[in-house]
Amino acid sequence: MSVDTPVPGPTTSSSDPAFVTDPTVIVDDVSVWFGQKVALSELSCSFGAGVTGLLGPNGAGKTTLMRAVCGLLPPRQGSVSVLDVDPRRDRDIHARIAMVPEEDAVPVALSARALVRYQARLCGVRDRDAIDAALATVDLVDVADRRLGGFSKGMRQRAKIAAALVSEPSVLVLDEPLNGADPVQRLALIELFHRLGDEGRTVIVSSHVLHEVERLAERVVVVIRGRLAAAGERHAIRDAMADVPRRVRVRSDDDRALAAALIGHDAVVSVTVEAGPEPGTTGGVTVSTSSASELALALPVTAAGVGIRLREVLPLDDSLESVFTELTR
Amino acid sequence: MTATSSTVGSRRTRLTALVTYVLSACMPRKRLGVLALPALAIVLAGVLSRTVTDVAATEAFARVADGLVFGLALPLGALVIGDAVVGAEVRAGTFAFSWLTPSRFWELAVTRWFGGWLLALATLVPATVLAAIIAGVADAAPAIALATAAGTGAHIALFTFIGTVTRRAAIWSLAVVLLVERLLGAALTGIAQLSPTWEARAVYMSLADVPDDLVRSGIPAGWGAVVRLAIITAVLVALTTGGLRRLEPTGTRD
Repeated sequence: MSVDTPVPGPTTSSSDPAFVTDPTVIVDDVSVWFGQKVALSELSCSFGAGVTGLLGPNGAGKTTLMRAVCGLLPPRQGSVSVLDVDPRRDRDIHARIAMVPEEDAVPVALSARALVRYQARLCGVRDRDAIDAALATVDLVDVADRRLGGFSKGMRQRAKIAAALVSEPSVLVLDEPLNGADPVQRLALIELFHRLGDEGRTVIVSSHVLHEVERLAERVVVVIRGRLAAAGERHAIRDAMADVPRRVRVRSDDDRALAAALIGHDAVVSVTVEAGPEPGTTGGVTVSTSSASELALALPVTAAGVGIRLREVLPLDDSLESVFTELTR
Repeated sequence: MTATSSTVGSRRTRLTALVTYVLSACMPRKRLGVLALPALAIVLAGVLSRTVTDVAATEAFARVADGLVFGLALPLGALVIGDAVVGAEVRAGTFAFSWLTPSRFWELAVTRWFGGWLLALATLVPATVLAAIIAGVADAAPAIALATAAGTGAHIALFTFIGTVTRRAAIWSLAVVLLVERLLGAALTGIAQLSPTWEARAVYMSLADVPDDLVRSGIPAGWGAVVRLAIITAVLVALTTGGLRRLEPTGTRD
């Protein structure tokens, strides 16, 4: 599968996009605080099979949420359920959940193979080939017997991923898993996460590199200041923000005439004629609109009305970067 | 790979893996280097006792070992090991590799203690035996080996437990040794009865042929002290199980 094409995410519930129809992980009204600092506040959402991106600025509560999902942290209020059990109480469930923490902490005296073997033995993996298979999945077979202390950050990250994968978990929680990986490895890991999601596993991935999350997950959960800011398909999140002006670049055979024709339309907030590469030429019209759908209907009609041929219509901010920027504004 | 659920493995496999992890992962080279210092101090006690010529070799070794071995080197050596098996891992963030597995909390507690105790048996006990031989009291070697094994077992259980209840385990462990055991334990018999330091000392002083003034009255001695240390160890391992249940093995980052 091409890494440029996000796989379909979990099926979102029609009534509330924060919840999926067939959840494996349910976060119900969860609050977590450390002294005076509130890390999560009454957060409710769910995760299902497929890849879900977890987004938010630093300190938003993403890592706290992931730790609560894995049972590392008990919610001070609310509850977390993974595969119908409380991960804080049921020890057996940890054979089916795996977490790759963000911290660059590994047992430095162990080799990559020893770390993966340790996880395999504790999780009851009897297939001896599973260890080599997990190491091969992250391309660490050649250095598997080297001590983790001599690994780069990216290699350590991959070793942790191999240790997480060896038990073939149903729920995989990855906190900034692409940190330290080189571009080739990033692509390989993104492809791996797609494959795991396609296999029916619940894969929750956080990342601060938003364009990578765009390639990773169609479904996104956005956490800001410990609260659920948005959830659902990334395009749906953007569409829900109808009151936020969106920008569209339109190229035509007469940009100035098109700009003049668009001014005054109800859906148009502002129009800017962009300068072209040569003096006196134009490079298209940037239209700021309060309703993308209205503009989409009005644009061809308006252009045809003044005899202008449209060449290109390009959304400028239909990316997670813009969604994130608007939500944190 | 398929999305089949994993079966939780046999207990023996888990226990073996957990102990092997403690032995291979919890004592990196730098910490082993630190552990060498109390081991060397114990051997030094044997050398120093040779310089005391006005009393019998047994008494000379007992008087030197009283302060240097039982009062300082053994607690510090056990602290290095006991902090390594839980406290240092929690601080570093690597304890999650063990916590996030189907292992039961009691399995984690017992194997952390047992792995640490094996390390003490391999390092500190030979050092005390060597010190006794160097001091010329080879016949006291079994007694000091028994005292060291029993005492470090209880101490490692204590420091392992402290590692589950505070992130500053090393500092609190040192405070317990110096303030509670050394200071309060010297003055209060009730504290000494529960102190691995004083009970380990009581094992050796009563089993070896030492002057009466070195045998502290009011606390179990000899094999009674060994039993007391075993009970202390068992209680602390049980408390460690509870500590692991409440532990939040997370880093400081959000």
